[in-house]
Amino acid sequence: MVSWQRGLWLFFVPSFGLLAVVLLWPLGYAIYLSFFDYFLGTGTRTFIGLGNYIELLSEARLWRSMWTTIIIAFGSVALEFAVGFALALALYRLNSSAKVFSVLLFLPHIVTPVVAALFLKWMLAANWGLVDATLLTFDITPPDWLGDPLWAKVSVILADAWIFTPLIMMVLYAALQGLDASLIEAAQIDGASNWRILRHVIIPALIPAIIFTISVRLMDVFRFFDLIYVLTGGGPGTATETITMYTYQLGFRMLEVGKASALGVITLVIVAALLLSINRALNSIYRGGDR
Amino acid sequence: MDLRSRPVGALAGVVPALLLAAMAAGPAAAQDTIRIISHRQPALEYYTGKMAAALPEGRVTVELMPIDRELELASITMSSQSDAIDVLYLNDASFQRFAANGWLEPLDDLWEKYREEYDLDDFPQSVIDAVSYDGKIYAMPIQTNTELFFYRTDLLEEAGIEPPTTMEEYAAAAAQLHSARTAGTIMSLKPVDAALNEAHWYMNAIGDGWFDDAWKPIFNNAAGVEAITKLKEMTQYAPRGFTAHANDESTINLQQGLAAMGLQWFTRAAAMDNPEQSRVVGEMGWVAPPGGGARIANDGFAISRFSSNDRDEMFRMMAEAASKESMREGAQFAMPPRLSVLEDPALAEQFRWYTAAREAVESGQAFPAMPDFLDVGEIVTRHILRAVTGEAEVQAALDQAAAETESLLASRGYYN
Repeated sequence: MVSWQRGLWLFFVPSFGLLAVVLLWPLGYAIYLSFFDYFLGTGTRTFIGLGNYIELLSEARLWRSMWTTIIIAFGSVALEFAVGFALALALYRLNSSAKVFSVLLFLPHIVTPVVAALFLKWMLAANWGLVDATLLTFDITPPDWLGDPLWAKVSVILADAWIFTPLIMMVLYAALQGLDASLIEAAQIDGASNWRILRHVIIPALIPAIIFTISVRLMDVFRFFDLIYVLTGGGPGTATETITMYTYQLGFRMLEVGKASALGVITLVIVAALLLSINRALNSIYRGGDR
Repeated sequence: MDLRSRPVGALAGVVPALLLAAMAAGPAAAQDTIRIISHRQPALEYYTGKMAAALPEGRVTVELMPIDRELELASITMSSQSDAIDVLYLNDASFQRFAANGWLEPLDDLWEKYREEYDLDDFPQSVIDAVSYDGKIYAMPIQTNTELFFYRTDLLEEAGIEPPTTMEEYAAAAAQLHSARTAGTIMSLKPVDAALNEAHWYMNAIGDGWFDDAWKPIFNNAAGVEAITKLKEMTQYAPRGFTAHANDESTINLQQGLAAMGLQWFTRAAAMDNPEQSRVVGEMGWVAPPGGGARIANDGFAISRFSSNDRDEMFRMMAEAASKESMREGAQFAMPPRLSVLEDPALAEQFRWYTAAREAVESGQAFPAMPDFLDVGEIVTRHILRAVTGEAEVQAALDQAAAETESLLASRGYYN
């Protein structure tokens, strides 16, 4: 290292300072609070060590909400990826009108999620909502979109997909622009079918972008809150109560700050472990290549 | 009385608010503006309007929202001791908790000071008790609210059914009137507030109530299981989406002729005869809820202990809204707690639902007088909804709710 490089660490200080304030301090404070029995109503804190963790980990509600989170997260991302990839391929095949279509398809993602959720809630409202009213006009009795435990999950997945599919579509469409067209032409000359071109040329070329989109969306969807809060409030019962909804209930409804903090820490650990495993699996597929 | 000529004594203060509370404060947190937050319903729209009109224009900002959101916003803001909210609407259940937490300003000195000017002795002692905690008055009573049984007179007459007086008659009538187009009954099972109200009725009319004398849960005993089983059975006659329905949705269902009857608040009665909103003008009748035990509540407006505005001015603003003249006009939206207004015989002639309301007040029941009942409600409604939607058996769901309730109350010192 030359002498002028020794002072470069100073450039690191502002960004680290910012991170420390907005990320590390709240995280550290949450970890600290998680060791206390702290009900905001009384304002008194009692140190209970791992008491909150033990109580939470022995609760069926935690594991139920974790399972719901996993179902909704994987359901949403799978649907978003499948539809987003299909749309990206469709746009790739278009020549002149691709830009117009991409803008139109991107519109749901421009709307603020809470506004989109409110919009969807009124669309899915029983009897007088747009969807119900339309189907009832044709004498079709629709399911209870937000009131039935199964359909409530499906509605949340569809709503999330409606908002975030355009993001995946745009990322994959951008990645497709960097694809070497001569590879596809060579495969076509060799007589490869569309499916084989997709399987053996396009997908391998897009794997870095695919890993990126799936990882980012999974991280996002594991902590998504606004959509469920507006659409179902975690109900009916606990049908759509994800881990973030449960944390919210504990912290902001019950004012059990210590327990909510402990749940936040547990969630962080579980989700980080889960995402690391998924990333590792995707990376190994990538490194494995097109076998 | 006009308060416009009085000086404004807004205090400046630096608030060590949490980030979230600061966000919750929103644009209305300017120091010299009195910020009122309230549940959104016709009566409260009227009374908050009266409060805003009592002071110079721009002095008061009013935000109306669903009760759950309001309580959440108030809890976050006040637990951080922020002065972002000055005056807030509280129902009986939330009032207890806020007072116990020390978040409300005691009003006894102001009550005494303005006793004669606003004829505050006109409020009956039972109402004063309802807005008092630990011997201190914390809120200005604004409405006595009770749940009524709404029913379509035309549909019942056509089917030869008398308005139900028991739960069995109610169930039979709902079954008979239920059709693809018109649900037999509304049911508001959106957690927490709406579902808790509905469950409260069943738990009192069929069950033995919520707690014994030592605050031990009894809602999971045989009578409680029978109550929630009946509630679950009745959902087959409810409009689709009932688990996401609160008062607004149920009111719309009744107004639009999509349901034949059901439990709803007194404050929603006038909306049935509003031709701009309702398709059933003149066709709705009211009786006291079958079996009794539906919720009654005395609600009011309280001053935040952390408000930096002039408490004298805020009290007079609330008292103006709760004056005799104001309540006489507001009687169309809510049952006024003032004796002189309530006993006016012209009311029952003018508003068809008052006769039923007086009966409902006598047969109704308030929530248990505990500061933590809303937290208990969060637990109980979650498990009742699990039972209703088939996630769990009724007995198992209620047992789980009772265990969690007992654990919560133990942690809050109820059994020490």
